[in-house]
Amino acid sequence: MGPRRMGFRRLGLTERLLAILLLVAAVDFVANTFLFDSATTTAVQRDDAARIGEHLALAARAVAREPPQDRADAVRALSTSRFMLAWHPQPSPEELRSSDPELVESILSAGPELAADGQRLVVLHTHSSREVAGTLVLGDGSALRFHTYAGEVSVQLSLWQILPMLLPTLILGALAWFMFRATMRSLQRLVSALRHIETPNPGGLPEQGPDEVRRLIRAFNQMQRRIQRQQAERTRSMLAIGHDLRTPLARLQLRLDGAQVEEETRAGLEHDIGEMRQLLESLQAFVEAGGTQIPPQRIDVAIMAATLVDSAADQGLDAHYDGPENCEIMARAVSIRRALANLIDNALHYAGNVRVMLACEPGAVIIRVEDDGPGIPEDRMEDVFQPFFRLDTARTRDTPGMGLGLSIVQAAVRLEGGTLALINKRQLDGEGTGLAAVIRLPVPDKVATA
Amino acid sequence: MTAPSILLVEDDVSLRMLTARALRENGYAVRTAATGAEMWVMLEAEPAELVVLDIMLPGASGIELFRKLRRQSDVPIIFASARGSEEDRVLGLELGADDYIAKPYSARELIARIGAVLRRGGGEGLSKGDERTSEVHFEGWTLSLSRRELRSPSGAMVDLTGAEFDLLATFVSHRQRVLGRERLIELSRTRLGDSSDRSIDVLVSRLRRKLSASGSEPPIVTVRGVGYMFKAEVRRS
Repeated sequence: MGPRRMGFRRLGLTERLLAILLLVAAVDFVANTFLFDSATTTAVQRDDAARIGEHLALAARAVAREPPQDRADAVRALSTSRFMLAWHPQPSPEELRSSDPELVESILSAGPELAADGQRLVVLHTHSSREVAGTLVLGDGSALRFHTYAGEVSVQLSLWQILPMLLPTLILGALAWFMFRATMRSLQRLVSALRHIETPNPGGLPEQGPDEVRRLIRAFNQMQRRIQRQQAERTRSMLAIGHDLRTPLARLQLRLDGAQVEEETRAGLEHDIGEMRQLLESLQAFVEAGGTQIPPQRIDVAIMAATLVDSAADQGLDAHYDGPENCEIMARAVSIRRALANLIDNALHYAGNVRVMLACEPGAVIIRVEDDGPGIPEDRMEDVFQPFFRLDTARTRDTPGMGLGLSIVQAAVRLEGGTLALINKRQLDGEGTGLAAVIRLPVPDKVATA
Repeated sequence: MTAPSILLVEDDVSLRMLTARALRENGYAVRTAATGAEMWVMLEAEPAELVVLDIMLPGASGIELFRKLRRQSDVPIIFASARGSEEDRVLGLELGADDYIAKPYSARELIARIGAVLRRGGGEGLSKGDERTSEVHFEGWTLSLSRRELRSPSGAMVDLTGAEFDLLATFVSHRQRVLGRERLIELSRTRLGDSSDRSIDVLVSRLRRKLSASGSEPPIVTVRGVGYMFKAEVRRS
């Protein structure tokens, strides 16, 4: 878990998919509205033109049938409130001055007979696009004037009209969110499985979910098997190297034992051989900590901790034990002893002192190994669990071992189903320096009482 | 007193020679064998008082060899292994090896182990009949001499430092006898020697604390002005 950064939230896949869906829906909605709007407008204009054309054609026919003196009356009778007509024997020059050719075109296409020989149509939008006026100059030179209002068609969509249209989209969005989540669940399972990749998972993950996720799980399972194979391989070669080095090292030791050398040289060589021996031992312990055939047995972990502390104190080191005299649990003695010894050695090496505290509680044993040293920089906390990692840089290296100590502790504790936490005391108690390593070992009920 | 005869079974030529030399220098009569077959020939010719057996030999494995040897004789056996794994150690001791030593070992270490096993075999306070004693029982406690382990009456393993173990083993084999501090140091010398300057009193008080785990009186009592005495009944198996 990283620190939570306010103001910056990364969207999950489900949310992203939903966002995509909503974006598509929104674009679709806008596009539809726009198309609907323009289509309606064209249709309305076409309808208006057709109406004008029809009316004019009828009026022209009526004019033709009537004698000139009755024409004005006949045309007036054809007028309605929305389509006013008037007849004049002569058009005025200004009313013929300008015309809208597009409008003429669309009216003529609705009433082709208006384009008959000698006739001429002049049309104009007057005050607004909804108001059309014009004159049809008939074959005999008389003028048929008209003035019309287009129908009031509203294509303006109000919020209340949009809302019901949006409702299906909203329902669809909610539905989609649930479906996305269901689809993503298999992916989430995979993610949590990946987080626990270190725990052996011989069967692999079940292949569930959509095709892509299935393929991902299959690839993951294959990868995990590969890793396990490689680990087994690495273990074997480490052990082989260990075996092969032990015999020559034994020869070296015995040669030194029988050789005539100065005491100083002998001490140096003894120290070097001892260190190599320790390296081999920690390598062996690291390899074995992952899985051992030895079954757990009843051990007194309080006495174990106290004995390790006593041994350190016997060598004149600053080591103290604080806890009950007895605490029996079921565990693998060798690996737990080694884990505690590693933590105690670490504390003594890095801090020069160690305090081991033990609490024997029903359900769990908590062992806290702490020191007053510099602790571990917070940003290196994760690293120190890595095998072959050492906190001191190569230049200042004076730590014996290969950087396997904490890996061994962690593996040993995990083998018992327990946990290991490293905490800087400043973090834990709010003051002081030093590191606290806290081991928590579960104790099943039936063992706790003894 | 003739030098104890030791048979060393080890397949690495140099290591075999070096080990043999170190043992001879420390007063043992050493014969060597490179394989199991050679070992049988040697034992046929003359029995040994102790066998140091490499666990990984060409041909028959040390473990196979060990089983066969155990069936035929009671000769003390020390396993030497290049594996140094805990499982190996447990297996070896479970099979009944008298001790287990991981390579690389120093001459001093090997000689100390051999000395301890030989002493245990014909140690003080043991009657002739149970020379091969590996477990001692007292007041519900079990002390395994071969595995160097102490178990509480409830069956829990109770850790002892090397010095504490040697001290307890000394007490157990000298039960009902008052032992002075000097005598205790002398008898427990194998491990106490370079462990520390801590007085014997500290070790005794730690032992008592550990042995009073079950709430009962610890079996070690102080004899004022003289030393200590182990008062519990001891049963061997």
